[in-house]
Amino acid sequence: MKPAAFEYLRPATVAGVLDALGGPRQDVAVLAGGQSLVPRMNLRVARPAAVVDINRVPGLDGIEVTAGTVRLGAMVRIARLLREPALRDRLPVLTEAAALVGHPQIRSRATVGGSLCHADPAAELPTLAVTLGARLHLRSAAGDRVVPAGEFFLAPHTTARRPGELLTGIELPVPPGLAARFVEFSRRANDLPLVGVAVALVLDDGVITSARIGAGGVGPVPVRLPGAEQVLTGRALAELVPGPGGHPPDHPLRRALAAAADEADPPEEPVFRAGLLRAAIRRAVTELATEGSTGEAR
Amino acid sequence: MAHETPYVGRSMPRPQDPRLLRGQGRYVDDIEEVGAWHAAIVRSPVAHGRLTRFDATAVLAAGLARLVLGPQELARLADPLPTKWRLPGQHLTGIPVATTTARYVGQPLGVVVAASRAEAEDAAEQVLLEFDELAVVSDTVAATTPGAALLYPEHGSNIAGQIHFGSDDETLTAAIDAAPHVIDREFRVQRIAQSPMEPRGVLAEWIPGTGALTAWLSSQSPQAVRQELAVSLRLRADQVRVVATDVGGSFGGKNTLYVDETMVCAAAMVLGGRVKWIEDRRENLLAAYQGRGQRARARLALDAAGRFLAIHADIVGDLGAFASQAGSGPFQVTGLAIEGPYRFASAGATITGVYTNLVPTCAYRGYGMQEAAWIRERLIDEAARELGLDPVELRLRNLVTPAELPYTTHTMLTYDSGDYPAALRRAAELADRFRPAPDAPGGELRRGVGLACSVEVTGFAPSALLEMFQIHWAGWESGRIRVNEDGSVSVTSGVMAVGQGIETALAQIVADELRVPIDWIRVHLGDTAVSSYSDLSSQASRSVTLAGGALVQAGARMRERMRGLAAGALGVPADAVTWNGAVFGGGPGTGTLTWREVAHRGWMGWGRGDAARIQLEEVADFDPPAITYAYSVAGAAVAAETDTGRLTVEAYWSVNDSGVLVNPMLADGQLAGGIAQGLGLALLEEIRHDPETGQPLCTTLSDYLLPSPSDVPDPVIEHRCTPSTVIPGGFKGLGEGGIIPTAAAVGNALAAAVPEIAADLVATPLAPATLWPMLDKAGLADG
Amino acid sequence: MNDWDVRVTVNGVPHRRTTQARTLLSDFLRHELGLTGTHVGCEQGACGSCTVLVDGEPVRSCLMFAVQADGQQVETVEGLAGDAELSGLQDAMMREHGLQCGFCTPGVLMTLTAAERAGCSAEEAAGPQLGGHTCRCTGYAGIRAAIERHWSRRKDS
Repeated sequence: MKPAAFEYLRPATVAGVLDALGGPRQDVAVLAGGQSLVPRMNLRVARPAAVVDINRVPGLDGIEVTAGTVRLGAMVRIARLLREPALRDRLPVLTEAAALVGHPQIRSRATVGGSLCHADPAAELPTLAVTLGARLHLRSAAGDRVVPAGEFFLAPHTTARRPGELLTGIELPVPPGLAARFVEFSRRANDLPLVGVAVALVLDDGVITSARIGAGGVGPVPVRLPGAEQVLTGRALAELVPGPGGHPPDHPLRRALAAAADEADPPEEPVFRAGLLRAAIRRAVTELATEGSTGEAR
Repeated sequence: MAHETPYVGRSMPRPQDPRLLRGQGRYVDDIEEVGAWHAAIVRSPVAHGRLTRFDATAVLAAGLARLVLGPQELARLADPLPTKWRLPGQHLTGIPVATTTARYVGQPLGVVVAASRAEAEDAAEQVLLEFDELAVVSDTVAATTPGAALLYPEHGSNIAGQIHFGSDDETLTAAIDAAPHVIDREFRVQRIAQSPMEPRGVLAEWIPGTGALTAWLSSQSPQAVRQELAVSLRLRADQVRVVATDVGGSFGGKNTLYVDETMVCAAAMVLGGRVKWIEDRRENLLAAYQGRGQRARARLALDAAGRFLAIHADIVGDLGAFASQAGSGPFQVTGLAIEGPYRFASAGATITGVYTNLVPTCAYRGYGMQEAAWIRERLIDEAARELGLDPVELRLRNLVTPAELPYTTHTMLTYDSGDYPAALRRAAELADRFRPAPDAPGGELRRGVGLACSVEVTGFAPSALLEMFQIHWAGWESGRIRVNEDGSVSVTSGVMAVGQGIETALAQIVADELRVPIDWIRVHLGDTAVSSYSDLSSQASRSVTLAGGALVQAGARMRERMRGLAAGALGVPADAVTWNGAVFGGGPGTGTLTWREVAHRGWMGWGRGDAARIQLEEVADFDPPAITYAYSVAGAAVAAETDTGRLTVEAYWSVNDSGVLVNPMLADGQLAGGIAQGLGLALLEEIRHDPETGQPLCTTLSDYLLPSPSDVPDPVIEHRCTPSTVIPGGFKGLGEGGIIPTAAAVGNALAAAVPEIAADLVATPLAPATLWPMLDKAGLADG
Repeated sequence: MNDWDVRVTVNGVPHRRTTQARTLLSDFLRHELGLTGTHVGCEQGACGSCTVLVDGEPVRSCLMFAVQADGQQVETVEGLAGDAELSGLQDAMMREHGLQCGFCTPGVLMTLTAAERAGCSAEEAAGPQLGGHTCRCTGYAGIRAAIERHWSRRKDS
């Protein structure tokens, strides 16, 4: 199928984008990488009256790595997340998750902002953003505002971005002692996962001082799993290394998994997806614990 | 360059590859489209409903379209497409081009023609459709439940018809009732989208002055399409030319004419010009005929020694909204092929075709034989497991031995040649490389190996057999060899190049028969104005066997004619003439002649022995005396994650016997490709529908999951060679040997890895969402 | 404003056309520039047949509007060999039977060409890079063998 006709706008500045978005029209689509929007337009599932192409707007593709924060412009392409040594050093879980986003030919166009705004409930970057407590920067003619990732995703493919607003970038906090993993299950390599899980632990001398566990694909939006987080918080990481027969029935990790499954609300195949959720968390935690106990935490 | 005898048996690259690699392919969408109008098809949005309004008045009034043909116009322009293979009791004998009752989502209702494809789609959206919606039956179980909505009330049932093959019911029932061991399962094979990477497409041109219709059309059977177009559009066959240039895969999905393609040709006739339609992927997944779609209750009865007493399959095939040209054919072949390479005291199958509100089914690579292998080979492994026998040993006790060949099954297939036990033993040896150690650690990852045996019908012939079943396909094949005036050799046949490399294989065969360098030969296929006749064309693993068989005969005759011409010119008897691949010689003192000189003399009409024959052209029609049967044994090594249901095929091997191999590289390619498709069926692919509404749930390649590189290991392929006893050249087919046993081998490997769920492994795909509940029930899912 | 003036350099040759905004880059290349080597397999971004290089990066040309390529460098399969011999990769594909119907092949070639330039290993090329392509004919075995052959030949030379 071919897309329905639309008006194409290619502003050269953020101000121009905001002008285009701020008009009376509601059905204006922002074209970033286009890797979600264009297939939907080709199927005529999406048929915006106007498309604002932000690919030539300068200043939206910055990457900034500081002591406690990674800042990514909305137009940073996923492929770049894999190429930046500073990101791999500072926030390797971002690289790990980015490597799971689509195939290289998609990643060369797809963007951080596009992935967040497309808001697929199972996609990697939204899950990671929610887990890490990212802050999303939105700009409109009325000014700037910052929305925590946990409040950005409202429903499948629906976000808190208002008409007239442009997502300009995202800020990911990187606390000292962070050890994080992203694990997902998809039908085929690099497909959108059925379930994706990010586990981010803050360690102090081998003790988990903060545990963040987030999951995609188990509800209408990516969610944190506070019950599971609570079980792990305060424990020694070494405690979570599995024994020869795995984790015994009353092991804290098992209690965390049970709590996670209780907190999840998968839209379809609920029992199966809850099973995948447990498996993903178990693998992520086990890997962190195993590496941590051999001094390889990252 | 002289002839390097022999070409047959050598891996040779294909002459068309440089062109394809440079982006100079000529697929239908690449044909020069100057002056062409573009079509979009108006398709039914509902699975079942009477079309009460098809209104394009506003579209035409607004100038959005050049032409719109709806049911009323189409009824005036086109007759139904004839069906070829009917089930006893089947009341439908044609496929209407004009539809007033929609019976599946995506069914073509009309065609809109505009200046571009995008504009045609814009206009098609504006055609007003109204329906009286009818209740939907979206699978064969629902369709055969008492009180189910009927697709054809006049037929009185959703059961299209029924047929039985093999031992009669009483014999089977008695054997099964008396047997000490019976394995009884309900099997299911999902609907498959053949998914050639190039979807269908047609560029139709009608020249009013000459009354000639040319259709450039992506097809694996251009001659059959030509016949169907002529019937439907009320033309003489000699007014229709179908040209299939490069075809981007077919796999059974391009073996016949479709209603939407017919509409596009009708539009070209109305406009007196060119109209083009390229199927998009959504349409391909929505409305191109699909493959498979069957359920079967099957039983295997064994005696105390593990001998097979009986196999019976009660097969219910999902025909979809109507019986396509092939209709129940694939389901019937499941019944015919149920015995595979084994000896049974009795065997039979009952096949019931059922209408549902889904897109019709037709051929897909493996054509019923894959379903038969899934049923039979899983039953055998289940029997081995329940009886505590080694599955290889159980098979060896029952395999037909070389001494028993030719062997006729209860369903009346006569296997010609081979050594089935040897192939199994070799596959079992290969399996030992991959078998997990007995003390392999348990935990979440389980490993296992499985094997499956199969026999492949290669070539659907002789024609008399098809006549006996009143199947309106010609089983025979043609070959034509012309030595041109300059000595170059033009070869044609009715088979079609669809990526398998048949042109290269046929050139190798002809080069050997004529003993000329292969680069003197050019093979022309796919243009009904040029190529010779074939009805089945490139289907049923018949291209090398039957076209090869025909060309072996034509080639032998041409060689003798060239020798005779040389003899006349050299003034010696024909049997004194030598041909060394460079020159003809007549012995001492007679001089020599080149091939080209002889060809020139031939076309001049000089020195001919047979006064009546001048043209250097030899035609052979080959109708084989019987089907020839290839066979293969497949093995898979799998790893199953018990906590996620994820199944990975870590290794795969195939021991295959397709008789004399013309080009081993191409043979390996056919097997590897078939295996990948088999793994897709085993693990990933499944056309799904909403059970209530019949709405398709897989209309993109993100929903319909084709195997990706990491899903397919490089297979180990070994060939054995038992020449066919019924095909000149000893060839057997190999297009389907890859796919037939694949799912069964994977299923058996999974059963070996996780015996706790083995009894439930009856349906494909073996997807995590299906396996996980089984693992959970067995207490294995919780890590 | 639905019609756009697009200037794009394809395989080193500058082109200028007026086209609708909704024209996909794949259709633009095929039907407006006549470069039919780029194939359209799904228009859903899933199959990879339409992969071309834009400013050196492999992209799905069905997921870009032609107007987006304005001012950019596009490379297609037609540019790989020119009139001369096949490229090493093309030659390896032929020798290893890495193509059957040939429909997915141009996209595969473009991805692997970019991978080669980027200095990817054979494993990376046959793994994640090839992972973005669907081939229905070969089962990938021939393509992987071609990658192996080509990469090892490069190492030797």
